[in-house]
Amino acid sequence: MMPRLRALLRLVSLQASYTYERMQGIGIAVAEEPLLEPLQDNPERARAARGRSAQYFNAHPFLAGAAVGALARAELDGEPGERILRLRTALSGPLGALGDQLFWAGIVPGVMGLALVAAAAGYGLRAVLAAVVGYNALRVMVTWWGLKIGLQHGLTVAHALSESALPVMAARAGALAALIIGVAIPWVAAWLLRGIGQPVRSTVLVVAGAFVLGVLTLRRPLSAPALTLGAALLTLLWRWSAA
Amino acid sequence: MTTLPWLALLVWGTVAGLDLASVLQGLLNRPLVAGTVAGIMIGDVGAGLRIGAALELFALDVLPVGASRYPDYGAATVAAVALGAWQPWDTALGPAVLLGLLIAQLGGWSIVGQRRVTAWALHRAAQRLDRGDPGVARRLHLLGLGTDMLRSAGLALLGLGAVALLTREPLFDLSTGHALTVVAVAGGFVALIAGALRRAGTVRRIAWLACGIALGAAGLVLQ
Repeated sequence: MMPRLRALLRLVSLQASYTYERMQGIGIAVAEEPLLEPLQDNPERARAARGRSAQYFNAHPFLAGAAVGALARAELDGEPGERILRLRTALSGPLGALGDQLFWAGIVPGVMGLALVAAAAGYGLRAVLAAVVGYNALRVMVTWWGLKIGLQHGLTVAHALSESALPVMAARAGALAALIIGVAIPWVAAWLLRGIGQPVRSTVLVVAGAFVLGVLTLRRPLSAPALTLGAALLTLLWRWSAA
Repeated sequence: MTTLPWLALLVWGTVAGLDLASVLQGLLNRPLVAGTVAGIMIGDVGAGLRIGAALELFALDVLPVGASRYPDYGAATVAAVALGAWQPWDTALGPAVLLGLLIAQLGGWSIVGQRRVTAWALHRAAQRLDRGDPGVARRLHLLGLGTDMLRSAGLALLGLGAVALLTREPLFDLSTGHALTVVAVAGGFVALIAGALRRAGTVRRIAWLACGIALGAAGLVLQ
């Protein structure tokens, strides 16, 4: 199997060895390993490269392919070790911020919001299947593209990434996700609350009340799950005392 | 339920747990997806979709960023669907979602424990790793993968064990079940709205959110 494909497969489990000290460091080393095979003829260089590859690293897992490609290219080109370690540190923050903005705050809520609307409209199974297939196709494509661009550009990968469409997409994905989640709110409310026999007025009241509480929990004095479990406990106490 | 769905649910709960952070992160851990698949396995897709959707409202408040501790909704949703399936959903949704929330929080703590086990192994192998000894990183990686698989399976087993205990006899009368369902769904909307506002951040994005609500409401009226 070609080394780039093996690196891609290993990137799929990048965070399996996540620790709070080196974060994704070990996963990066495992993913980089197939790309460093040309160094096998020079055991000293290979050993030094392996040692560097397992140091601290943390970025968005889907964009980590760009770092793996760039670091491998720098090792193969014989760049000085200190420079490679500096590249590693320099890539962590931007790749993390870009990926978090694009995927965790944009694409994931957007896709799940769409799936919720479709489920509320009666297309649940097809929506879930489409969401999983479409999202994973995108996820693999982005990781593959990251590997490719990293291997092509090496030390200048950050510049290549900033010139790509990713930063613009990341900025727009959040707004689109907000719009989709907005659409999902009335649809899911109608599906779940009116579906259990709540009239329109009380459905609107529950959502409006949730809006007020949602704003109040923004600074997280109490998380929504804790608030819900507390309210459920009070409900149970009230029901049992009334029985 | 026969033995087969329990085993299938255990396997699916484990797979969904692995998808949270260790392998793929391909939406299999999302409650709507995990719940739908669990519903198919049990033979009650409707329950899987509804319970999954209710828990998805909570999951949309979570940003799984870096070292933060986040709940594991995969195995939790599988247990919730197993509890709520084949029952009138206006009374079963609430208790099922509440069980899912509890298991998900436990799942969050279990991830911290699993990562500490990997860190312990890393400490023991750090010198060899930094020296560049061949195979050390791969062995640590496989250990992390194995311990996360055990963690996910344990969480799924705990959730399904709770279901086995809770389904022995009815816990609540119908009106209590109904009240818990309203509380659980309302709590989900608190999470969804807080999450959307937190992610939106800027006034411009909040305006997009408001536009979406207006669009959604208009779509419902016109439907």
